[in-house]
Amino acid sequence: MASSRTCDGVQRRDFLKAGVLGGTALSLSSYLRIAAAGEVGKARATSAIFINLAGGPTHMDTFDLKPNAPSEYRGEFNPIQTNVSGIEISEHLPKLAQVMDKFTILRGITHTLAAHELGSQYVNTGNRPIPSLEFPGYGAVVTKELGGPENLPPNVSVPNSAQKPGYLGVRYAALNTGATPQAGKPFSVRGVSLQNGLTVNEVERRSNLLNDLDVAFKGFEKDNQLLDGLDRFSEQAYSMITSKRAREAFDVSQESPSFSEQFGTTPFGQSCLLASRLVESGVRFVTISYGGWDTHNNNWQVLKDQRLPPFDQGLSALFRGLEQKGLLSSTAVFVTGEFGRTPKINTTRNGRDHYARAMFMLMAGGGIKPGQVIGETDEKALGPITEAYSPADVAASFFTNLGIDPKKEYHTGTGRPVMIVRDGNVIPQLFA
Amino acid sequence: MNILRTGSIWGFLVLSALALPAEEIRRIDQRYGDDAVTESPDFRMHIVPLMSRLGCNGRACHGSFQGQGGFRLSLFGYDFKSDHQNLMEGDEPRVQPGKPAESLAMRKALTEEPHEGGKRFDTGTWQHRVFAKWIKDGAKPMPADAVDFVRLDVTPAEMVATKKGDTWQLKAVAVWSDGSSEDVTPLCRFQSNNDQVATITEHGLVTAQGPGDTHVVAFYDNGVVPVPVMHPVSQLVGPQYPKADTPTKIDQLVVNKLQKLGIVQAETCTDAEFLRRVSLDIAGTLPTAAEVEAFLADSSSDKRAKKIDELLERPAYAAWWATKFNDWMGNNARYVGNNNGVDRRELAATQWYEWTRRKVADNIPYDKMIEGVVLAKSRAEDETYEQFCERMSSYYRKGSDRNLGEHSQMPYYWTRSNQNSPEERALSFAYTFLGVRIQCAQCHKHPFDQWTKDDFDRFKGFFGRIKYGPNGPSKKDYQEMLAKLEIETNKKNGNDISKMMAIKINEGKVAPFQEVYIEEVKTPRPDNKKNSDKGKRPQVVQGRTAKVLGGDEVVVAEMPDPRTALMDWMRDEKNPYFTKAIVNRVWAGYFHRGIVEPTDDLSLANPPSNEELFDYLAEGFREHNYDLKWLHREICNSRTYQLSWKANDTNRLDERNFSRAVPRRIPAEVAYDSVRIATTSDQEAAKLVASADGRAISEAIVTTQGNGRGKAGYALTVFGRSIRESNCDCDRSEEASLLQTVYLQNDQELLDQLQRKGSWVDQVVKTIKGPSEEETVVGKRKRASRDVDQLKAALKKAESADNENRIEKIKKELAAAEERAAKLREVAEDAPLKPMDTTEIVRQAYLRTVNRLPTAEEAKRAEAYFAETGDIAIGTRDLLWALLNTKEFVVNH
Repeated sequence: MASSRTCDGVQRRDFLKAGVLGGTALSLSSYLRIAAAGEVGKARATSAIFINLAGGPTHMDTFDLKPNAPSEYRGEFNPIQTNVSGIEISEHLPKLAQVMDKFTILRGITHTLAAHELGSQYVNTGNRPIPSLEFPGYGAVVTKELGGPENLPPNVSVPNSAQKPGYLGVRYAALNTGATPQAGKPFSVRGVSLQNGLTVNEVERRSNLLNDLDVAFKGFEKDNQLLDGLDRFSEQAYSMITSKRAREAFDVSQESPSFSEQFGTTPFGQSCLLASRLVESGVRFVTISYGGWDTHNNNWQVLKDQRLPPFDQGLSALFRGLEQKGLLSSTAVFVTGEFGRTPKINTTRNGRDHYARAMFMLMAGGGIKPGQVIGETDEKALGPITEAYSPADVAASFFTNLGIDPKKEYHTGTGRPVMIVRDGNVIPQLFA
Repeated sequence: MNILRTGSIWGFLVLSALALPAEEIRRIDQRYGDDAVTESPDFRMHIVPLMSRLGCNGRACHGSFQGQGGFRLSLFGYDFKSDHQNLMEGDEPRVQPGKPAESLAMRKALTEEPHEGGKRFDTGTWQHRVFAKWIKDGAKPMPADAVDFVRLDVTPAEMVATKKGDTWQLKAVAVWSDGSSEDVTPLCRFQSNNDQVATITEHGLVTAQGPGDTHVVAFYDNGVVPVPVMHPVSQLVGPQYPKADTPTKIDQLVVNKLQKLGIVQAETCTDAEFLRRVSLDIAGTLPTAAEVEAFLADSSSDKRAKKIDELLERPAYAAWWATKFNDWMGNNARYVGNNNGVDRRELAATQWYEWTRRKVADNIPYDKMIEGVVLAKSRAEDETYEQFCERMSSYYRKGSDRNLGEHSQMPYYWTRSNQNSPEERALSFAYTFLGVRIQCAQCHKHPFDQWTKDDFDRFKGFFGRIKYGPNGPSKKDYQEMLAKLEIETNKKNGNDISKMMAIKINEGKVAPFQEVYIEEVKTPRPDNKKNSDKGKRPQVVQGRTAKVLGGDEVVVAEMPDPRTALMDWMRDEKNPYFTKAIVNRVWAGYFHRGIVEPTDDLSLANPPSNEELFDYLAEGFREHNYDLKWLHREICNSRTYQLSWKANDTNRLDERNFSRAVPRRIPAEVAYDSVRIATTSDQEAAKLVASADGRAISEAIVTTQGNGRGKAGYALTVFGRSIRESNCDCDRSEEASLLQTVYLQNDQELLDQLQRKGSWVDQVVKTIKGPSEEETVVGKRKRASRDVDQLKAALKKAESADNENRIEKIKKELAAAEERAAKLREVAEDAPLKPMDTTEIVRQAYLRTVNRLPTAEEAKRAEAYFAETGDIAIGTRDLLWALLNTKEFVVNH
């Protein structure tokens, strides 16, 4: 799709999308404020894809190799050149190496929560977990701030998500697809697609009956938020269920074979294909959960045989695909696990264990300057030797990329004021 | 118990009775009206409140925890010592005693130096004079022997507006422990709890804005005083108020307030509305069609009261309210009984729930039930560690019919891994049992209540010795028992150990358990002999004493279990929280909102919407020996509870004075169960209603990760079941969401329920078309005898072939088939099904979903739908679908 630029740097596509937003209009004010402050020159992402590599992917065998480290650390993989000179990544990520110019690697991201659950909460919310409060995941915040399309769910997880709406409340919860699409096959989603062979006509007939029977509160709706809200949700659900747009948004089999081929046929590849399609349709936030990275045992074999090939193909295709559709500049992509893995090899199990002092994250799209490496770890990848960035800093940058002020304050159910990201600062080089 | 009175207040009451009240000191803006003033301002009485008024210690300014511009004040200003220090010390002292004009703070406030916070006052104003005079006179701190703050008197005590734009000037007088009093109106902070009813300026000028009622609040020092503002909604006030039907005390107290506001109560609701409402509220259960018909047909005048009594005896009542108690107590399977492995955590959560359910079913007095939690230790009196472990192992053994529910105490409240520091325990205790949010005071003066950081720290003192783990008095026994089980702790991680323990328990062995216990007092060595025998008031050592909120100080170090002091305090009839917290939560279960709202925020600045009503219920509840069923009955039998949701012109916008029923979304578990009850066959529905087992309202295991769990997990998450994560009633959500509507309209789970085998749609189809032959008893008999014949033939064949294996096998099958056939001969033939036409289908569909009869118009439209589809099955399915998707279904009204 062609994308033309307007004088203020916002692409025309974005306006079209903004046009179909419901009552919750695009919050441009915070974006403009940040932009005016000069912190971010071109924050322009309007939707996001968050890829959660649950289990904690090893940094040393993927995006932060140390070929010269002692053998107790090094691992068996070798680095290869990417299409950006000077940047090397793992030999088992050859396709990503060819699109290095489309994304940026953050190395030596550091924190202290080397347990799955806590680490996962941290990287899914941008806030270190505390017992007294459940922080909302990125998807909940982004849909609260930026709203969603009229007849599509604003926040979708493929197939599910570690993110919760937290103190923002259930209305910002993600719709979980519950499954990943299969290559070339029609894909339908819990609650959204027509079930049991129902036709649109039948649904319409049934809904007419509902409209005629839902009269008990007639005349009282306007005085009651709940009744009014239920009416609005009912209309929205109906249009979501019956609209061609919603059905087609989820149906990856409608993509042209030449486009979908590059994603491969794996569940992860198909999830990436679906994510690109959903974003194109106007879904605000898509989460892809791709687990299995907890490689205490047989780290290298698991990586090269199982984890990395689908990841390499799917993610590289996602970057390419978004670009082909003209969406990369308006889609913030963020890839992370909950921590890295011990640089020192656990020789008894031939694996690596939990390690939070150094991990990698990937960013692309929107105002992110691609083709960079930000941060650096020491010669054994034990920890950062440059400025140490935390998951909260990356989260602040992610929100900023979407035009959301990470320091904006919300009030929890108990009235406690909390900033979106309590303790993070934007990493300026990401946008340089 | 050794109680040290915090003497000041009591002392003052005595003093003031003797001394003549001193003359009230004039307002500070008048006293400092010109430069001739000689008085010296006081740091606590004048300077800190002034800085507060000027916004200096606000969160965005110097009250921020990082300070601002290198200068920090305590947030909302109650830490007089550190505030004074921060003004006087540091690299750049803000105040130079004796030199107002050169002091940085003064120069900043006047913007003679750049000040991000802007100009705070002008030269020559009273504020300027007060601040300058204080600095000039040496910038003295609060003296060590300073008088105590006693109270803040605010007048007028109540404001009733007659029209928009009516104004009142509040006057606030601070009273001190030496009997002096001062008009501190210019030094107060003011707020309105609802700007649409009344606004208040920083000077305390109140302006009526529109009909309704709210409070304006004055803050000064530790005083928080709410003053009611009322603005009648109609002319129907005083003598004009229509005669109201007030059969119960609750009704009288509610109407007393409504009379002042000119709000007329709604009509009484219909019988059908009452049945649905009371059934959902008391038992978390949708009535069945048969129940609705029976209730509507009952002509006795006390049928509503009888229904209330009946519902309170149902298992579903105990199940549903136990779930609520577990919400408030935070029974989250992720945290309970942790360190004992995942399996045991779920068992622990289940045991906790079952314990609660039994107490509620037995109607154990609320204070007794809570005592069983508050004072719980893992070991019973006189139980050895070994006996304790034997008992616990017996609960955890597979197939065991023993349960911790039979125990009088429930220790798991104290085992939660997310609430185990003294701070967390203090916060959670205040939330669960007192309905008080003290978390603010953990770090700073509570902005909306009297609590100071000092109050929090002293309250925390009760919780330091409550421990959970294997490291108590039984540490050695624990290790020995593990060794006996041949589990080598040093080689295994925690998960492996608990898995192995589970295996050993199932083998009939006894495994060691962690326990809740009270740590012995570590007596500090008397290192200062000079003080020890002088008979002076003992030095307050960290951990030696603790102070209940707003009350007495207790020497916890001398108590075997400091929690007993808390329990005694909660039972004291003067305790302002314990009884009210539960009364308020129960009330909110029936009215969608508490008398105090939010329900877990009993605080001075958030007063009850009807204080007399609140007091009456709390006192009654205590006088009735904390009988929960008394409370339920008292509320449900009131006319106020039985009002219609249909608003009139006067109560259209009222949601806080109980003048009508407020429509609310039914809670997650109840919604899930209601869909089941509404969609399943009559027979199955009757079973679901009669028992609570297997229902969502009795699901014991609730975790934050509820998403994928069980088949109800998705729906319960989407509908906002409590996540039991933080200390907040808002962990349960009752708001509506798009995903909820999508679920009801189009989720596969819901659509399957509509037309699965055994559903009501299935039942209707069978009733009309008749069951297929194989489903009737006659058909089944035929089938069985056919089976027998076939097997006999097969046996002959096998015998002639002399196939021994096969002969054996067929003989077994034949015996089974003959038994089946014999049994079927005993079974009575099916009763003929009641004939049903579309009129009856429509009628039943209404009765089982929205629990009322359809209106003529509705019936006509629904019946026409059957003609439209031309198919009974589809017509019935779609009609039920439509009714489940009406607002009327998902809303309790």
